[in-house]
Amino acid sequence: MGLNPDEPDETRRDAHVAEMKESGGLPVRTAEAQGGIFSGAPGFLTTRLDTVVNWARENSLWPMPFGTACCAIEMMATAASRYDLARFGMERMSFSPRQADLLICAGRVSYKMAPVLRRIWEQMPQPKWSISMGACASSGGVFDVYSMVQGIDTIIPVDVYVPGCPPRPEGLMYGILMIQEKIRRASPTADWVADESLIEGLPTLPAQHLDLVTSPFGNSTQQNRSSGLVSSGAIVRPNDRQP
Amino acid sequence: MTDPNFKKGLDALDQGPARAAGETVESPPPAGDLPPHPTVDALRDTFGEAILRHEVVSGDEHIVYIGPERNLEILRWLRDNPGERYDMLRDVTAIDYGNGAFLQLVYELWSIPNRRQLRIKIELPLDRLEVDSVYYVWRASDWLERETFDMFGIVFRGHPDLRRILMPYNYAEGHPLRKDFPLRGRFTRAEQTRRSLSLKTEDHYSPYEVELAKRLGQPLPSVMADDGGPGVPESGMPGIGAQ
Repeated sequence: MGLNPDEPDETRRDAHVAEMKESGGLPVRTAEAQGGIFSGAPGFLTTRLDTVVNWARENSLWPMPFGTACCAIEMMATAASRYDLARFGMERMSFSPRQADLLICAGRVSYKMAPVLRRIWEQMPQPKWSISMGACASSGGVFDVYSMVQGIDTIIPVDVYVPGCPPRPEGLMYGILMIQEKIRRASPTADWVADESLIEGLPTLPAQHLDLVTSPFGNSTQQNRSSGLVSSGAIVRPNDRQP
Repeated sequence: MTDPNFKKGLDALDQGPARAAGETVESPPPAGDLPPHPTVDALRDTFGEAILRHEVVSGDEHIVYIGPERNLEILRWLRDNPGERYDMLRDVTAIDYGNGAFLQLVYELWSIPNRRQLRIKIELPLDRLEVDSVYYVWRASDWLERETFDMFGIVFRGHPDLRRILMPYNYAEGHPLRKDFPLRGRFTRAEQTRRSLSLKTEDHYSPYEVELAKRLGQPLPSVMADDGGPGVPESGMPGIGAQ
């Protein structure tokens, strides 16, 4: 049924009633009912601004892949054709932090790499989210050693932790869907600028809390008799060269 | 550590390989029941007392122990002598057997023309971990010696750029592959994280870059301006052009 401005209103109403009878009472989708989108007539939509902004953000996340180990292989598989991350709006892995809003840290992070990860996170524009993928990024994993960051949440804030060693692509996708869920529930108009509480050169936690959450746990306390802190009685050679 | 066998194994690991009764470091090389290696005989003829010991492991892998004083002379002879021509340095590394034993510095040589392999070992006492660099004999030793310095603290005299290579430049906990190094390092996790985040990677240049900055009249970062950078020789950099 076309929209004819010359048609009298009675005729249009009669035609509409006839059509409703014909379709058994169901509303009929017409160009007129759709607000004139297809016919060029002016139309409008009422909704919440939060909903529209969140809808736009969640469906076009640009991930910044920070792959340092075997988890990165699974991340590549997630982006490849079989699992096809593009289904969820991630058309483009952004290898530039300036054009990314989701940091996926896949793999172990050494202390030498920690300032790099921190710098990349600081370079990403707001709003931004981060995923800690795998056991090593989340907690240090089996690498409870001198050179490894015990969880990247001591370096940057983390939104979603994906467990696994490494996680399967389904796991990473589930984590990304949880990020999308988080975006959907956020209120961008209320929290217009996200709180960035990182202090230059300092961890995300106070020292005593960081020591608490990174202390050895489970079987790892039995790994090495000379493990742990200076106060544990580890022998220090007096002639041990300092750099 | 409830399992006594496990503890016994750890103790044995700490003690390292046991020496035979009465054997000392300077004990004479065993008599001629070993498979022959022409280089070993030539080394004995040429350097005599400087060749301390000779071992054969795994059937045909010959190990020659030499003293730390004449290592540069002997290794240069091995490369340049027409009968030997060990023109490929496969590896430079070290072994710490723990319990105060000498550190073993290992050179893995391969002669491409003669298709001959030789392993040179130098035993270094823990209070004098110094040896001449073979940087100008095999350029391949550049990063290998840096790694050995980083991990074991062996100082290679004459190396033009003896910096840490694996650990961060501001690492101050010692040398991680030593047996007396605690598994989780000497500092607390909070201190390690704080130090790593305070590292400015762009403030640490190689001597090549320092030399370039000097020639271009560019200022150095304050942390490097104090001593002119790590390991920069007074005579300037070789291989960067005429001074």
